Amino acid sequence: MRAEEAKLSELLVRIYENVLLTEEQALSKGYFSDLSNAEMHTLDAIGPYEARTMTETATDLGVTTGTLTVAIDRLVKKGYVLRKRDEADRRIVRISLTKNGKLACRIHTKFHTVLAKRILEPYSLEDQEKLIKMVSEIDDYVASQLRRYSGSDSIRKTAKKVAEEGRRREENG
Amino acid sequence: MDDNRDPMEYMNDDNTLDENKMKDLILDDLVKMITDMLDISPTDIRPDTIIPDELDLDSLQLYELVVDLEEVYSIRMPDEDLDNVKTVKDIVDLVFRLSTQPEK
Repeated sequence: MRAEEAKLSELLVRIYENVLLTEEQALSKGYFSDLSNAEMHTLDAIGPYEARTMTETATDLGVTTGTLTVAIDRLVKKGYVLRKRDEADRRIVRISLTKNGKLACRIHTKFHTVLAKRILEPYSLEDQEKLIKMVSEIDDYVASQLRRYSGSDSIRKTAKKVAEEGRRREENG
Repeated sequence: MDDNRDPMEYMNDDNTLDENKMKDLILDDLVKMITDMLDISPTDIRPDTIIPDELDLDSLQLYELVVDLEEVYSIRMPDEDLDNVKTVKDIVDLVFRLSTQPEK
């Protein structure tokens, strides 16, 4: 491995880990120490404004509604989330943030913007644009790798389905 | 804070009067919120009082004010706007601008 490659690969992993760790530390030492990182991101997905449905929020977070229900139960108990059935359609559950939930959400967003602000600050506007362009390219590339895997997953599923179909036909025939 | 937005043509001729009256009401609300929060006298708060330096507000209390104002005035106060806020008057102007601008 070239020295540059080794360095970049090390940096990528470290940045990822340290952003998460800093967030966790900031949470545990801050006003909302009873929230985990995952719970904070659930509040973020609900957002400080209009009530959202469980399905919408689960899709945004990439989890099942079952998983979200468990998380929301806890957040309701801790006083961060309000849960209400839709008056018009009782099947729909709407969730929104309490005042405390809104505060946590706002302060968490601020954490991220301050982090980004401090990173960009030392650079000229031109260099900031260059940096964002290069980091976006890294983001795009990594995302494309992820898509390749989730793609192969569905290919595998399709292959399995075709094989099962074939077997069933053989058994029946 | 410079406000270059359009002069709200939907208001009538005495719009200066309306604007001042509205801003006074917003200031009253804001002063009440701050005095409730900090246990200080309303006379300690002037329009040119610098936030948070002159008022002992931490970031949580600052956002508490923001969340309360959003609720009372049915507005959204984005961080980009809040970054430009330095004085009590800046908050009043911002709340006024956000609550009078037409819905998008």
